[in-house]
Amino acid sequence: MRLSLTYQGIPIWRHSRVLSWTAQIVSGILVVAAVAFFISNIASAMDSRDIPFNWTFLNREYSTPISETLLPYEESDTFAYAFLVAATNTLMVSVVGVILATTLGIIVGAVQLSGNWVISKVATVFVEVFRNVPLLVQLFFWYILLLGLPSVQQGGIVLFDAVYLNNNAGLSFPWPEGQQLPGVWLLCVAASIAVGLVARVLLDRRETRTGQPSYPWLGAIGVVFAGAVVAWIVWIVIGNAPFVMSVPHPEGRFGHPEGGYSISIELTALLVGLIIYTSAFIAEIVRGGLQSVSRGQSEASRSLGLGTMQTLRFVTFPQALRVIVPPLISQYLNLTKNSSLALAIGYADLTSVAKTMTQTAPAVTIFLIIMGIYLLYSLTYSLIGNLYNRHIQFTGG
Amino acid sequence: MATADTWQPAPSMPPPRTETGWIGWARANLFGNWLSGLVTVVTVPLILWAVWRMVSWVIGPADWTLIASRPQQFLIGLYPTEYAWRPLTGWLLVSILFGMAAAMWGGAARRIALGYGIITVLLGVLPYGLFHEGVVMPWWVRAFILGNLLTLALGYGLGSNPKTAKPRTFVLGGVGIYVLLLLILIGIPGMEEVAPRKWGGLMLNLILAVSGIFFAFPIGVLLALGRRSNLPVVKVLCVVFIEVFRGVPLITLLFMSQVLVPLALPANFPVDSVTRAAIVITLFSAAYTAENIRGGLQGLHPGQAEAARALGLPGWQVTMLIQLPQAIRNVIPAIVGQFIALFKDTSLVYIVGMLDILEMGRSIVQGNVQFADNARELFIFVAAVFWVFTYTMSFVSRRVERHLGVGQR
Repeated sequence: MRLSLTYQGIPIWRHSRVLSWTAQIVSGILVVAAVAFFISNIASAMDSRDIPFNWTFLNREYSTPISETLLPYEESDTFAYAFLVAATNTLMVSVVGVILATTLGIIVGAVQLSGNWVISKVATVFVEVFRNVPLLVQLFFWYILLLGLPSVQQGGIVLFDAVYLNNNAGLSFPWPEGQQLPGVWLLCVAASIAVGLVARVLLDRRETRTGQPSYPWLGAIGVVFAGAVVAWIVWIVIGNAPFVMSVPHPEGRFGHPEGGYSISIELTALLVGLIIYTSAFIAEIVRGGLQSVSRGQSEASRSLGLGTMQTLRFVTFPQALRVIVPPLISQYLNLTKNSSLALAIGYADLTSVAKTMTQTAPAVTIFLIIMGIYLLYSLTYSLIGNLYNRHIQFTGG
Repeated sequence: MATADTWQPAPSMPPPRTETGWIGWARANLFGNWLSGLVTVVTVPLILWAVWRMVSWVIGPADWTLIASRPQQFLIGLYPTEYAWRPLTGWLLVSILFGMAAAMWGGAARRIALGYGIITVLLGVLPYGLFHEGVVMPWWVRAFILGNLLTLALGYGLGSNPKTAKPRTFVLGGVGIYVLLLLILIGIPGMEEVAPRKWGGLMLNLILAVSGIFFAFPIGVLLALGRRSNLPVVKVLCVVFIEVFRGVPLITLLFMSQVLVPLALPANFPVDSVTRAAIVITLFSAAYTAENIRGGLQGLHPGQAEAARALGLPGWQVTMLIQLPQAIRNVIPAIVGQFIALFKDTSLVYIVGMLDILEMGRSIVQGNVQFADNARELFIFVAAVFWVFTYTMSFVSRRVERHLGVGQR
């Protein structure tokens, strides 16, 4: 008897390629069908309600006030420009928030690890309170707290005769004010930056050659700073400073602060809330990152004779940074997205302007635009973060 | 037998008294060096002063009538008063689960059940009006609340009985109780219907959070697996879904669900604003959970899957029995963090016009002149309520983490 050993092949219903293609085609068709269904519904609903889907409204006059803007804005400006204004407002909140939240977060995170029991417990309480309470509740709380301050008429709160805070005119603080286009001065600054970079390279080489600490970055920053200041002083002596610090002072009706830079009470509350909330998360990230560096690293560094600051600067922190940066970037994205809670306390950010716009323009188009803008911000932060992250990873050398 | 010339070590001296006890502790932790000492000397009076100011405000000028006079609205919002027994019944059922968990796992679960019992007793006996101002709270409401102690004990009994004390029973019972709770709240056929848009207060936050967590987790697992799959179509769909939901603020999505979803669904499609909000919150949270789980999957050594394949496990078993359990165990803190975020995000439903605990309180402040100055007390109270829940969640997470030995092999 002869045994048949011919290979029969895998039955078609168990062949992995067939199965995977079937799965893909089925899921693809389902999604396309669902999307087509929703789009056709939207189209018919918009037809019946007479809301045309188009982009032409972007050139129409927005003719609605925006309470507080970074860019100059008038009601006669177009929808497109109003979008730009609102997006800039969100960007400003995001950038200012990111810088201040990172600073505060690093401080709180480092304090949590400090040897002093009292302040490390205070930092822990700070973190546990502020990251466990919804941001919306915190924003309302800060807003109410700021609204409870004395008004301009009652004198408000004045710090060092330079910072004014009160519940109707908002927060005013000193701000550089340009008198004329400081072109030549900017050229001088650019030149000193170039010199600074050269100095950095030279000091870096000296450090490598001699082994003596030469502080290349410190030197470079010093050169740039000195150049800028000297140029500034020269310009003042000549008689026209590129800019002067404008310090707010009480003037106008009921002593409203004039000069400096003023932001509304809503924006102040939004920034305070966002910064404190995000810094609690950043503090935890920083603490986790510093703790992730094994104790042996800092002990080895100490036994090589490096001081506390040097150990932190050259051994612990660079290694902690690799753990810290990726979650830090996602906190920056969260801060940017959380800034949309401005809607709740009445600051004109992207979402709240868009919400007002839907009353006079097609909602679908507006949503597509704001989704696009938020995605753009997210991608930009991710890109910068990923580039930096690649820069600090192990290079194997 | 020790002889005279055998050397005997002298008994060791106790450590100096300045190095042990509270003196030693203070020397090490408060005055370790001159800087630390300076910080202690400067900050301690500041902290004491701040705490004193806060305490004296809370028991002095602060006016808590707003909270004491409207507990019903903070708990269940504008749910009709005559049907208040329905949420109370649901509460009784939930207590069974707390009791069961306490008996089955002990430790942290027992402590939580203890705290839960204490809060229940306080709510049952403290002198406040559970109903609207001027309406005396009926005796049966307190009876219902104190009845939770009985169901807690019943749950403890079930958890102590080896026949019923199985994780599967607990999970199935939990799901069953949750579905039953929703049915009672809406009204099973034959009862008066209470539409979800009338739900509110803390009850709404908890319902949204529990359903969000319950559905976001499996969806997140599927999305994470889809994103790592070799099938290009599935992969692209998952990536697009995850990135769109992660790239846009939740408040924008909720607002979109309010304006856009009604357009996208056929007219008269029976989806109310609560369900829409719940779906959006769930999908938003699922996208984040997916990324957490993907991180866990990426952290696994490929040898795990290879070994499982070499042992002859089919693909789905490699995923379900080898990869996912390890991946999920490794990212428990991140996932719980995401669930805490979800619970906090339930406060955003005000954008679709729901009266959750925060918005309910705000509408009371705005609608009553006598409470106009009490917004500060309101927000502190709401923050405290949220804090109790979120802090408990992170406490449980730390315990589970230690129990499963995350970070150890």
